[in-house]
Amino acid sequence: MKLKSWQMALVVLSLLALVGVGLFSGRFMIYLAMRVMILAIFALGYNLLLGQTGLLSFGHGAFYAAGAYGLGFFGLHLSSHPLLGLLAAVVLAAVLALIIGFFCVRHTEIYFAMLTLAFGMMVFSLLWSAREVTGGDDGLVGIMRDPVSFFGLLEIPIGKDRQYYFLVLAVFVLSAWAVQRIRLSPLGLALSGIRENANRAEFAGLSVKNYRLAVFVISGAFAGLAGGLETLLESNARPFMAHWGHSAEPILVSLLGGLQTFAGPLAGSVIFIAMREMVQRFTENWMLWFGIVLLVIIMGFRGGVVGVFQRLIGQAGGGR
Amino acid sequence: MGDLILQIRKLTNFFGMVCTAKELDLDIEAGVLTSIIGPNGAGKSTLINLITGNLPVQSGSILFKGREISRLPIHQRVRLGICRSFQIVNIFPELTVLENLLIPTLALSGRTRRFFAKIEGEDRARDQVKNLLEKVGLAGVKDTPANVLSHGDQRLLEVGVALAVEPSLLFLDEPTAGMNPVERVKVLENIRQLSREGQTTFVLVEHDMDIVFSLSERVVVLHRGDILGDGTPEEIKNNVQVREVYLGDSV
Repeated sequence: MKLKSWQMALVVLSLLALVGVGLFSGRFMIYLAMRVMILAIFALGYNLLLGQTGLLSFGHGAFYAAGAYGLGFFGLHLSSHPLLGLLAAVVLAAVLALIIGFFCVRHTEIYFAMLTLAFGMMVFSLLWSAREVTGGDDGLVGIMRDPVSFFGLLEIPIGKDRQYYFLVLAVFVLSAWAVQRIRLSPLGLALSGIRENANRAEFAGLSVKNYRLAVFVISGAFAGLAGGLETLLESNARPFMAHWGHSAEPILVSLLGGLQTFAGPLAGSVIFIAMREMVQRFTENWMLWFGIVLLVIIMGFRGGVVGVFQRLIGQAGGGR
Repeated sequence: MGDLILQIRKLTNFFGMVCTAKELDLDIEAGVLTSIIGPNGAGKSTLINLITGNLPVQSGSILFKGREISRLPIHQRVRLGICRSFQIVNIFPELTVLENLLIPTLALSGRTRRFFAKIEGEDRARDQVKNLLEKVGLAGVKDTPANVLSHGDQRLLEVGVALAVEPSLLFLDEPTAGMNPVERVKVLENIRQLSREGQTTFVLVEHDMDIVFSLSERVVVLHRGDILGDGTPEEIKNNVQVREVYLGDSV
């Protein structure tokens, strides 16, 4: 699928806007933009599982937390190199996703969802109760943002939020590109086939279980990457990252933006963070207002914000 | 006579107390267009489900080209060369015709594992699909989502998806159900042609006796999970038992 010219223009404009935010915006705006991008990485990866393959997981907070604690432990005990830390975050999250996924992909639909929920809450309890190792409800604190060093030749400081912003932006752009490549690859097509008709996919010669496991691990790895980035941003890792309430965030974001589009989770992340900030100024019960908006979108606008937008400009949704 | 492509021995299946396969022995010869007929509930669908892996085999053995397959998962049987089409249209509804055929074609060559390649670059698979589109007569609608095709075209696609894995043994479960006469002739002509080419051995499950007797080289009659008759169409037509149980006196 070739990008149409208006899509290309949208991509370039968004990138320019993001660079502009990093260069000229105030600290609060920069912070919010980072939260949006981190949530978007989480949701983009997650949507490979939900939108592309049709599997609903309530346990991806566990992989987010695996990334966060992975980076934390790595930074506190081994090396405080941020890129190595992020690599450790991704690897730990992927390994955990492989183990949990191994048990979950044997089941589908409600059983799959409930199993992921159970595993996710097990990880949460473990982080909460193993105080000596994980810091319990305090989590891991005091994680530093050391400069990104390239073999001692070149050092890029990321200590200030404005500096760190560009690392987040770079990781975000790479992630979005990678997810899009996967969506449009032969694997992506196979995953769509599994979503559409798992039995037929099996009769097309696909080992459905293995493909489900593969995409489970890929989405878990992206969750871990997002978790690592948040830990560097906030300089702590908290057990609530593994809580099912947090696992629900990428689901809500994908529904809000549109399940079966690439841009859906991106648009959803922007709306989610922006709404939370705005509504929280007036009331603590921001979830109430968010729930109402979500209701309207799900009942009135199938395909989310992006789906509606696509229909408005007269482009059929397309199955992929 | 060709080699035996499939050897079934003492295959037994129960749904609760209902027996749908009773120590069934059946050989399928390579290259012989075989039809399986029988009244409703005779065990035709069960037999296909057992051979292709939709149902787990409770007891008995199935040898495909001399290899025991009765414990293999579906996708491995498909890769060995056994595939099927379904009685009810069973395709990827929201994907285009092209994509429906690309999935099995790519899967066959293991290319669906490629997660960073562009689908546009899969030239070999695309060529294969192009041939297949011509063969089944869907080239004109290749970019149409499968769920908006006419019923007849969906049936054609159903057969196409099964053919895409280049099976050496293909079960077609009522391939012409719900088709208009024109489409029906097209499909049957296709099957006859492909069967002559010899790469694929076809096994048909059909209700329409005209089709069965005009197309098949061998007819197997099932009744209550057992084989009632087995022979050339002429032999079956003249088989007294079969006439009593199934064909009535109308033939």
